[in-house]
Parts: sequence; C-alpha cells; structure tokens
Amino acid sequence: MTKSPTIYVVDDDQDVRDSLKILLEFSQYAVQTFESAVKFLATDLQQLDGCLIVDIRMPDMDGLELQDELLKRKVELPVIVVTGHGDVPLAVRAMRAGAVDFLEKPFREEALLESVERALQHTPRKPTVKSDEGNARLAALTDREREVLDLVIEGHTNKEIGRILDISPRTVDIHRAHVMEKMQARTLADLVRMSLSHLS
Amino acid sequence: MPELGIARLASTDALFHALIRTAIDGIMVIDEEARIQVYNPACERLFGYTRAEVLGRNVDMLMPEPYHSEHDGYIARYLKTNIPHIIGIGREVVGRRKNGSTFPMYLSVGEGKVNDQRIFVGIVNDISEQRARDKRIQELQGELLHVTRMTAMGEMTSALAHEINQPLTALLNYTSAARRMAKNLGEPAAQLVDILERAVDQTERAGLIIRRLRNFIEKREPDRAPEDVNKIVEDAIALGLAGFRDTGTKWILKLQPGLPQVLIDKVQIQQILVNLIRNATEAMGGRDKRQLTITTALDGNEVEIAVADTGSGLPNDVVSRLFHPFVTTKERGMGMGLSICRTIAEAHGGRLWLAANTPQGATFKLSLPIGSAMERGK
Repeated sequence: MTKSPTIYVVDDDQDVRDSLKILLEFSQYAVQTFESAVKFLATDLQQLDGCLIVDIRMPDMDGLELQDELLKRKVELPVIVVTGHGDVPLAVRAMRAGAVDFLEKPFREEALLESVERALQHTPRKPTVKSDEGNARLAALTDREREVLDLVIEGHTNKEIGRILDISPRTVDIHRAHVMEKMQARTLADLVRMSLSHLS
Repeated sequence: MPELGIARLASTDALFHALIRTAIDGIMVIDEEARIQVYNPACERLFGYTRAEVLGRNVDMLMPEPYHSEHDGYIARYLKTNIPHIIGIGREVVGRRKNGSTFPMYLSVGEGKVNDQRIFVGIVNDISEQRARDKRIQELQGELLHVTRMTAMGEMTSALAHEINQPLTALLNYTSAARRMAKNLGEPAAQLVDILERAVDQTERAGLIIRRLRNFIEKREPDRAPEDVNKIVEDAIALGLAGFRDTGTKWILKLQPGLPQVLIDKVQIQQILVNLIRNATEAMGGRDKRQLTITTALDGNEVEIAVADTGSGLPNDVVSRLFHPFVTTKERGMGMGLSICRTIAEAHGGRLWLAANTPQGATFKLSLPIGSAMERGK
C-alpha cells in the first residue's frame, strides 16, 4: 500500500461515484467509493487516512448524520460535503459541524481538486489559527455588516435577515455585497469557510 | 298576555307558553293567509322586530327579495296542489331583520290543524356563525391550496433539478477526465482536447441554467414569523378534517403547554401537518381501531410534533424511498406530498422523518429548531 492518503467518496448515485473516482485517480489520488453511509461506517474507521467526500442528501443516513456519527466515534477525517443547489442551510450546518468545505453540484474539476487539497492539508480538530489578515478583514466590517454576516452564515434568507434586523431585504442585499467584498469571498462557501475559521 | 286567533285557543296551556318563550330557536306560526299568529322571544332576537310589530302581519316581511314577493305564491301553490316544497322538509333560507340586513337561517316548516284551521309552524335556526366558520375554513383551505400549488411547482423544479444535476455531475467529471486523458496524448490529440473543453463548458452551462431556474423559483421566499406550534396543530386538524367528515377516528391530543414559539412560515408548516394527518387518516381507512395521536413536546432546542396512526404501517420497499419525489402508495397520488414536506421542514432548519413503523401503525415526527434568531426577532 502506498502511503498516500485516500479519498473516500460516499454517494448514492453510482455514476457520480464512478466519475469522481476516475477523475481523482487521474490526479494520482487513491480513491475508494461507497454507495451508502452505512457501508462506509462498516469499514475499519481507525485505519482511514485522507479525506471524505460525501453527498449531503442520501437515503437512510444522510451526509450530516454520517458526519455526526464520525464525530461520535472520534474519527478525525476531513470532510467535504457535496450539495445540490439550494441546500445552503444544510451546507452551513455541515461546515459548523466541522466540514472543511462544500461543493455545489455540478462542480468544476479545479474546484474539486482545490477542495481536496485543502481537506488533505487541514489538520482536523486543532483550533484554526486566526490569521491577522482574516481578522483585519473582519475588523473592516461595520456593526450592521457583521450582524448580516452572522445571520448569513446561520443560513437565513435575505428576507428573514431583513425581518430580524428590521431592515428591507434590499438593504440586506447591499450589506451582503459589502460583506462579500470586504471579506474577499468569491462564493457563499468561501464566506462561510472564512467566517467559521475566524469567528469563534 | 292575549294571543291572536288560533293561538288564543291554545293559550290555556301553560306548557305551550313555557315552550314558546324559552325556546332557543325562533318559533312562529302562520295561518293560511300567511299572517303571523305566534312569534316567540327568540324570533324577536333574531329579526329585531317585537312581537307587537309583527302579529297579524304577512310573514313575508321577514324575508328579503325575491322570497318577499314570491311567498304568497308559494302558499297559494301549496294549498292548490298539496305538493310540499319546504313543508315537512326544511331548508336553508335567508331571513331579513328589521334593520334590513339579512342572515342565513335553517327553516323547518310543519303543517297542522287547529279547530279545522290549517296552520304552518316554522322553526328558525340562525346559522350565520356556522357559515362564518365554514367560510373561515374555506379561506384557510384556499390559502393552503395556493401555497401547496406554489410549493409543488417549486418542488417539481427542485426535484427535477436535483435529478438532472446527478447525471450532469457525472457527465462533467467524465468529460473532465477525458480531457485530461486527451491532454496526456499530446499534440496529435489537440483537436480532441479542444472539443472536450467545449463539452465541459456546455455541461457547466446546463448546470448554470438549472441554477438560474431554481433561483427564479426560490425568489418566493418563505414568510416567517414567531408562531405557537400548538395553535398551528389545532388549525391543521380543522383543515385536515375538512372533506374527511366523520371517519370514526378517535383523536388524542397531547399538546405540551407553554412551548416556546418557533420562527416558521405558518401556512407551510400547516401544510406538512395536514399532509401527515390526511395520510394517517387514509392509512386507517377500513381498520377497526382508528386512533390518531398528535403530540407536541420540547426536545432540547427543538419543538417536536409527532403524528401517530393505528394503520397497517408502510411496506418496507416504500420506507427507504419514502421522501423521494414521485414515490407513492396511493393509486392516484403524485408522490410529491412527503417530498415537499421534507423540503419545507429542512428549509426551516428542521427535520421530518418516519419515527416508527409497525403493522399496528406509523409515527411521523417533525422537529423545528428554536433558533437563536428567535430572541433577536422579538
């Protein structure tokens, strides 16, 4: 066996699994695929080394439940959750529970490899060092922008945020754009990732 | 207290008077010429006229048009043909008050004879409250139907997008892998690389179209406010029962008092509960023991609502795919109900699952988080 880490793919769709395996193997990763969370949990979890790519929506046990189960069993494996569009609140929950990243289906090869690299470099369970730069970006936010950011990463819609803060959804939109700009986040996943590692 | 005409003959009977005076329903007696002979206190309350104002006058004064003008004709026709239209039957009609306003009432009419004179006895029951209640339920149903349609449309799109995204993801991965392979072949495969680049771009484009479609559908954001879960359960029961009258189901409500409010879209959560209640009711059709138990409880940071029936449970092959779109056990079902319900629950940060499934019944549970936003929202 090579010492190189393995990418574990858990997805109930066979072609998604197969295609991910082929693609990742091209990038010299060892890949193991599983059709369900239950099948994955049946492996020798203590021997795992690498990272897990898991679909958030699966029958029986979904991605979030698998993540919980791994935490319970003290398996320290970096997790990337894969979501359909519109599952942002679920994805945020996964990130809060310690997922390294989330990918929206369908995703580009570059985005996938970037996530996998990040996951493999990630040392799980160690407190993330707060970079000065991240803190500086956060410090640049106004109080209102900070409030909007907190609610966005809780998975609220603009309308809900507007209601909670008693401002119009349109105003929320503007604050949100400023937050993205100041935090230098390209996507919502970026924003959630950055915020979760710098807020505590 | 002198009574006119026919009533005078009966006025010796104290029981008769007591009956007339204390009746909750309006009671009146008219003669063959439609003249009011008896008019009880309940009628005074209903129509706003005092007894003195109506005795001896034509009963058509208590009716709006067209009955007002046609009533004499009705009586004449009956006297001539003996074919009853309302006598001995009763029906819903409209009454007219002294102030000109009208109200829906149930009128039953009986015919009798006193000293060879024909009389008609009318019993009047004001049904405006019942009507108002029916109307309220109808409005709730209309609202629910609208939201159901909108949600169904959104859910169809979501389901379709999800289903298409799967093969699209695989397609993008395969094409990317092929592109890599072609790149490794070097110069001779340059054109192949180019073609595969384009294939990757087009697959991405398909993904973007779906994303845009979903964004468009999801523009209609849920309308959330802090709500009392127990109140919503009660409304949902009223709604769930409408159209399923008297199925002989025994209802058991175990609603925990003092539950914290939850931030939800009321109509959407009602929709989940109505769905669960109707499914449960249908699952118990034809069973001897039909008992529906709804429980609300606080569980950690969540409010949990359980709907338990005593049906025959769900077949195993259905259970694993229960929340997938287009899965149904019903002959005429679309299989969107539970799938939509779960989407709604998850959009609220909650969950919906089958908590128990035995041959003696199934239990569905819905949990809703008491979010931190709640306190801020207050």
